[in-house]
Amino acid sequence: MKRVTTWISGLLLLFLAGCWSSQELPDLALISAVGMDATGDGQYAATFQVINPGNVAGEGTLSRGGSESPPVTTYSSTGPTMTEVNRRVSEKVSRRPYYAHTNLLVVGEQLAREEGLEKVFDAFERDPEFRTTTRVIIAEGTTAGEFVTALTSLDKIPANKVIKTLETTESFWGEHKDTNMREVLKHVGQSGHEPLVSIFTLHGDEEKGKKIDNIQTTSPEARLEATGMAVMQDGKMIDRISNEASRGALWVLDDIQKTAVSLDWKGQKDALVFQIVRNKTDVSVRIQDNLPVFDIQVSTEGEVGEAHVPINVSNPFLSGTVEKKSGEEIKKIIEQAVAKAQELQTDYLGFGELLHRKDPKLWRKLEKTWNEDHFPTVEVNVNADAYIRRSGLRNEPTFSEDVE
Amino acid sequence: MEKANIYAGQLFVLMFIFELGSALLIPLGIEAKQDVWLAIFFGMLGGLLLFFVHLRLHLYYPDKTPPEFVKELLGKFFGTVVACIYTVYFLYIAARVLRDFGEMLVTFAYNETPLFIVNALFLLTVVYGVYKGIEVIARTGELLFVILYALAIAGFVLVVVSGLIDFSYLQPVLEDGFKPVLQTVFTETWYVPFGEIIVFTMIYPYVKNKKAMKKAGIIAILLSGVNLIVTMSINIAVLGVELTARTQFPLLNTIHSIQIAEFLERLDVFFMIALIIGGFIKISLFFYAGVISVSVICNVKNKSKLVYPIGIVVLFISLTQASSYAEHMYEGITIVPLYMHLPLQVIVPVFLLIVAFIKNRHKKEQSL
Repeated sequence: MKRVTTWISGLLLLFLAGCWSSQELPDLALISAVGMDATGDGQYAATFQVINPGNVAGEGTLSRGGSESPPVTTYSSTGPTMTEVNRRVSEKVSRRPYYAHTNLLVVGEQLAREEGLEKVFDAFERDPEFRTTTRVIIAEGTTAGEFVTALTSLDKIPANKVIKTLETTESFWGEHKDTNMREVLKHVGQSGHEPLVSIFTLHGDEEKGKKIDNIQTTSPEARLEATGMAVMQDGKMIDRISNEASRGALWVLDDIQKTAVSLDWKGQKDALVFQIVRNKTDVSVRIQDNLPVFDIQVSTEGEVGEAHVPINVSNPFLSGTVEKKSGEEIKKIIEQAVAKAQELQTDYLGFGELLHRKDPKLWRKLEKTWNEDHFPTVEVNVNADAYIRRSGLRNEPTFSEDVE
Repeated sequence: MEKANIYAGQLFVLMFIFELGSALLIPLGIEAKQDVWLAIFFGMLGGLLLFFVHLRLHLYYPDKTPPEFVKELLGKFFGTVVACIYTVYFLYIAARVLRDFGEMLVTFAYNETPLFIVNALFLLTVVYGVYKGIEVIARTGELLFVILYALAIAGFVLVVVSGLIDFSYLQPVLEDGFKPVLQTVFTETWYVPFGEIIVFTMIYPYVKNKKAMKKAGIIAILLSGVNLIVTMSINIAVLGVELTARTQFPLLNTIHSIQIAEFLERLDVFFMIALIIGGFIKISLFFYAGVISVSVICNVKNKSKLVYPIGIVVLFISLTQASSYAEHMYEGITIVPLYMHLPLQVIVPVFLLIVAFIKNRHKKEQSL
């Protein structure tokens, strides 16, 4: 028996070495971003942003070995299905494409509008290497292919630039949502809450964006910029919202962390700025005459960020008025955003989902035609309470002749 | 039956890991949608009920394994038939669970490795454990229990901290009334994992302190039930019902979603280790029960001789019982619960209990 055990242990060594289908690091092409486009003739085009490891390592030492080649290289291929496209690219890259570090999926506007995201997602979702935490954006005004070829300064890897921009602007200004694949998938399969996906645009000269010169100037010729959010229905992009409409939508979704609202004061436009530090939005639904009524309650806390009128904001009586005005302004933004969503006949505010939870029976009746028939006419009440806690390092602005 | 002794604490650990085993892996009871926690809860209560039935039956013959006492209950012929059916059942379920884990590993981590290799390596450790005997498995269980719980707590904290949980996905409660919940209970959660404790009837004779044993069983079932409820609820709270139902391995997806501070991500290893632990204990116990049954039925004194050949049988069943994962799942969801779990976990034990009750009452009357 002992001999058998010894033999088995010896054999195990062969199997347990873990060399089955092993991949050496130099044989992998680390893909940081994938851009998917529809070519128009029923085929897909994919562009892969592959990291050049040597040019990313040693950040800061620009003159390292005189290597001035870009931090990423892109390859593209076309084919009738996602999988074929992904495999075909091997004709062009010397290494095996490796998706575990892919953080960004860029979908071309045409593809998003005509085919929808589900079609793109399926192959990625199935693949165990690819992660559902990958961010998804839609490239507008350009193809996704052009988009992922642009080089960026500040962040060496363009995919990281986009992700960081999304993260920062979501928390700092609140017009864009940082959505990953899991979140989009969660809403695509579910009625009553359509997903929103951020839109990016490549500004400037596409051709110049591909050259290393683009990141050697202080003002790059081609820039990647978040410009709005795509409204999706059944996985397809049907319209876009931007500015106040998208900020208001995020407000309803309770995704606003920090932002700023300009207020009018005594006939003067944009005289004061209310800077938001904390925000909490509660949406509730009640049933009235067999129809849902939605109440949006916003409680927000912040400080005065700017004052262009002679006003002593540290005066507790006056700040009450400013608080009221801020509340009204926020209410206006949200009401407009809700009106916009109703106009687009797409419930990306999650009202349907809320109703589903509150009253499943009523929801079942309305579900089928919710987006078209019920959501656009639903009654929405908004109430916003703003609280000003501080006014920055100053109390009065400089021109303090007739301070109130 | 071998000469061994395990104490109630070890039984508790084994039962606990056994219950979590493959139940953590699959979208357990997802047919009940957001009410899955209710389905698991009722399954747990049903499991407790079965536990009492098994226990009562066992207490009539506290020193004998089921294949020994069914002969006394049903006579030599029918007793042997029933014992043989159970043997096949245990070995088949061992093979099924082995296949579950092999498929999981191949789907998710070892895409290019043949299923045979993965299953063979997994089974080799199981065979070794069973060869060493129940005491060794029990002690291994104690060690693994600590690791499993440490992982579970760490994973839980990470999911909570990453802010992924949205409990509103668990609403509305009882959207379609009790019907889908009860349907899930009676077709799934009652049997897997709770009804599967039938395998422990082979282990009970090794525990001397019957009172502590009862307590250990109850606590193990309750605790594992609560853990499963928490896990499935978190899966739904993170992924939503649709996505949970669509994935093969919801817990894996939940753990994939963790992203904290740019570096705490891709924690698949958590999932893998937890599952391998659960799988090891679960397969070991079914396999052990099968081996012991065979040795009792065939009067083999040294059960170690049987371990390797039966291991090979289990390995081949695990590979040949279904040609694809889809077929494997279809069998597991539509055929096995109705034609194997329900009769063998519920009907036969209850029937045996009734027979035992009548027989023993009769005996008492005679002795009086």
